[in-house]
Amino acid sequence: MTDASLSPLALAPRAGGRPLAIAAAVVAVLALVPLVIADKFILSLGSTVFITAIAAASLHLIIRTGHISLGHAAFMGIGAYASVLTVMELGLPFAAGVLAAFVAPCLLALAIGPLVLRLTGKYFVLVTFLFGEIVRMVFVEWKSVTGGANGIFGIPAPAPVFNDPAAYYYLSLGAGVLLVGFIARLLASEVGRAIDAVRESERLAHCSGIPVLRLKVTIFALGCGIVGIAGALQGHFIRYVDPTSYSVVQSLNLVVVNVIGGMQTLVGPLVGTLFYLILPEMLRGYVELQRIIFGIILIIVMAFLPGGLVELGGRALQLVRRRAGS
Amino acid sequence: MTALLSVTSLHRQFGGLTAVRDLSFDVAEGEILGVIGPNGAGKTTAINLVSGVIPPTSGRVEFRGEDVTGLPPHRLVGRGIVRTFQSTTVYGDRTVRENGMRGAYLGLYPGFFATLFDTAHARRMRAEATAVVDELLDWLGLTEVAEDKAGSLPYGHQKTLGMIIALASRPRLIMLDEPVAGLGGGDADHVRDTIKRVRGRGITVIVIDHNMRFMSGLCDRVLVMHQGARLAVGTPQQVLADPAVIEAYLGKRHAALAGH
Amino acid sequence: MLSPILLGQAVVNGISLSAIYILVALGFTLLFGIMRVVNFAHGAFAMLGGYALYYVYGRWGVPYLIAAPLSALGVALAALVLERLVYRWFYQKMFQSMIGLLGLEMAIVFTAVIIWDPHERSVPAALAGIVEVGGIIVPTDKLVIVGVAAVALAAFYLFTKFSKYGLAMRAAAQDVEIAAAQGIDTTRIYQLAFVIAIFMAALAGGFYAQTYALSPLMGERPLMMAFIVVILGGMGSIPGVALGGIILGFAESFLGTFYGGSVAVFASFGAVILLLIFRPWGLLGTPET
Repeated sequence: MTDASLSPLALAPRAGGRPLAIAAAVVAVLALVPLVIADKFILSLGSTVFITAIAAASLHLIIRTGHISLGHAAFMGIGAYASVLTVMELGLPFAAGVLAAFVAPCLLALAIGPLVLRLTGKYFVLVTFLFGEIVRMVFVEWKSVTGGANGIFGIPAPAPVFNDPAAYYYLSLGAGVLLVGFIARLLASEVGRAIDAVRESERLAHCSGIPVLRLKVTIFALGCGIVGIAGALQGHFIRYVDPTSYSVVQSLNLVVVNVIGGMQTLVGPLVGTLFYLILPEMLRGYVELQRIIFGIILIIVMAFLPGGLVELGGRALQLVRRRAGS
Repeated sequence: MTALLSVTSLHRQFGGLTAVRDLSFDVAEGEILGVIGPNGAGKTTAINLVSGVIPPTSGRVEFRGEDVTGLPPHRLVGRGIVRTFQSTTVYGDRTVRENGMRGAYLGLYPGFFATLFDTAHARRMRAEATAVVDELLDWLGLTEVAEDKAGSLPYGHQKTLGMIIALASRPRLIMLDEPVAGLGGGDADHVRDTIKRVRGRGITVIVIDHNMRFMSGLCDRVLVMHQGARLAVGTPQQVLADPAVIEAYLGKRHAALAGH
Repeated sequence: MLSPILLGQAVVNGISLSAIYILVALGFTLLFGIMRVVNFAHGAFAMLGGYALYYVYGRWGVPYLIAAPLSALGVALAALVLERLVYRWFYQKMFQSMIGLLGLEMAIVFTAVIIWDPHERSVPAALAGIVEVGGIIVPTDKLVIVGVAAVALAAFYLFTKFSKYGLAMRAAAQDVEIAAAQGIDTTRIYQLAFVIAIFMAALAGGFYAQTYALSPLMGERPLMMAFIVVILGGMGSIPGVALGGIILGFAESFLGTFYGGSVAVFASFGAVILLLIFRPWGLLGTPET
């Protein structure tokens, strides 16, 4: 994360009207999709894209503080189980489930955050890697609550109307706009300025009056809470939760989405999500080949293109402009 | 003269090694105090202790009559104590102005929800911070490069920017860790003038260095450290005439210093 | 419950687990200590070692004591291609290496899925039968594994202690810049360390495949164990690997024997997380400045 020469696409603090206008246009187009396309499969893919985008963006928020979590899917799973249990065991409405999905991972993150966020980058990666595995094992072992390795089936839709894929499409789009918008706003605020300062030089930031650990714990807890909501949306969408859906492999997928898209701006995970979910559709039937391609992309991006696809796009844009200018 | 900062019996041990032992000194409001001593004398550790980067093993630090011992750096910045570093003085990938704005963070932070919703209060605070930073950039001559990346500035300007980051929090006391390390003679003179101008604004200064010539032209008083302890304190002239100082510190290096 | 026989069983089990863990983790720590590379693809090479043994020993019937080192060596030499294509871009770039090599792991594992399908296979035991000493039952197979592992570790020890290249490698593990300044050819040392590291991983992978089962996804567990051993001992520390491997092997064997497998895993993961938080440089490592 050293190269920051991404000015064309970087969401600088308090970026002016243009990114906002682009975002509004994208959301408007997405909102029109169900009116034009009634294909159930496309609409379901849309919901998956929005849910994954929320999860990836929440990981981006944590990555911006300089910590890559390899246990993010564990928090997503905690959110999913929390919501599903709230709705199915306690008989409370979906809204209460979403609240639980935010609060439960948030509290856990607040508890472990002060300990693990003292660690530097690589140790944090390792701890979260192991932590994610522990959480998955808890899902498997705590059979009376989680249903063990089989998970929980027959999860109801948030409300009868959401059995319709178009309705779920709008629900997840709405959640996506709200939560990703929140993250964008946060990163563009004074808090975002502090986050970037901490990542770039923790020592300097601390001595400029930024309460480093408190900031990191707060952001970590927020990111984990948001991914919990994504977990709830996913659980009630695919109608079951099980431990393998929230294993280290899934955490890794969220990292892949961020790395492919680019870790320096919030646009990165969004582009990464699209690429990550659309490419497989083009290679349908060749699941293994997708994974191999993703693997090779990861290698190439980490070796030559630390800014990911967004950086590639930015460079292409510059090139086009230079051509046009000369 | 009442003491702004008062350090009593400060002690810091790393494992079996005592880095700072029984260190006591006062700094008066508006004073420039130099801390001098050979490498390994414990100067930087002493600054780290006072600025909260590491907690002391024992001892007491009072600032404006209040006990601030062991407070973390961000709390001390809130009280008006700020410091610079020998290296990593700036955020290299960011513009000069953004560097300054980060220094002003604490003063301008309007609260989580205020900044999130960009309230009128938040905008007012931001405008105020921008004014503070712009004034400092103008005052120290960096306005022209305000939109340049800090990492692309010449080394001397980076040192100045490091000071601006610190000053942007509007401190009462600023501690400078080797502000002229790695600078040529002309640049060093410029830094000396800058430090005097900072004091001219009513800000108290503690400056660390091992170059006696630089320090004697700058400081009101000098604290000489040797093997983690205080060897002498007084005006540069007094200290230079102190037999203990000459024997322990200047003795061997006198010739080298004279030629400096 | 605490019968001497059960206890003896746990000790024997602990020794054989320790031997495998040390083999896996030794290569991992070499790559980290010398090249500053966090080899997330380590488990993939263990898996390849398992398949190599499956063919060389299981299918072609080469005698075990030749087949085990031969198949590991084959994997290590083939992996040199990846050293040129992939690894060299990540040398001395710890952070990038983690994610980039996760990508390599993914690519290798799913290539294996295409070639060998995801179903489990088994590698035949080196020697059928059991040995009984004073009531303690030991499968002969396990003794052979411990024997081969011991020979490999002893060879490694003698190599780093007495050979010119071995000494250079140890110097590089201590401080690669100083080693380069002393005229050590780091490219050669990197390749040598790489081959040794992959050889060890592949050898351990063969044992793993024999003890548990062979499948393209089997590498995850050895990787996890390498992590834990290396974190326990201290990243980059060779004696640390020995200590960490013994601790983990015995902890798993004893906790597993008396409290069940999942308790053992919970306990060792939990202990490692605590260690990471309070002493991230491990038991025998040195803190970074």
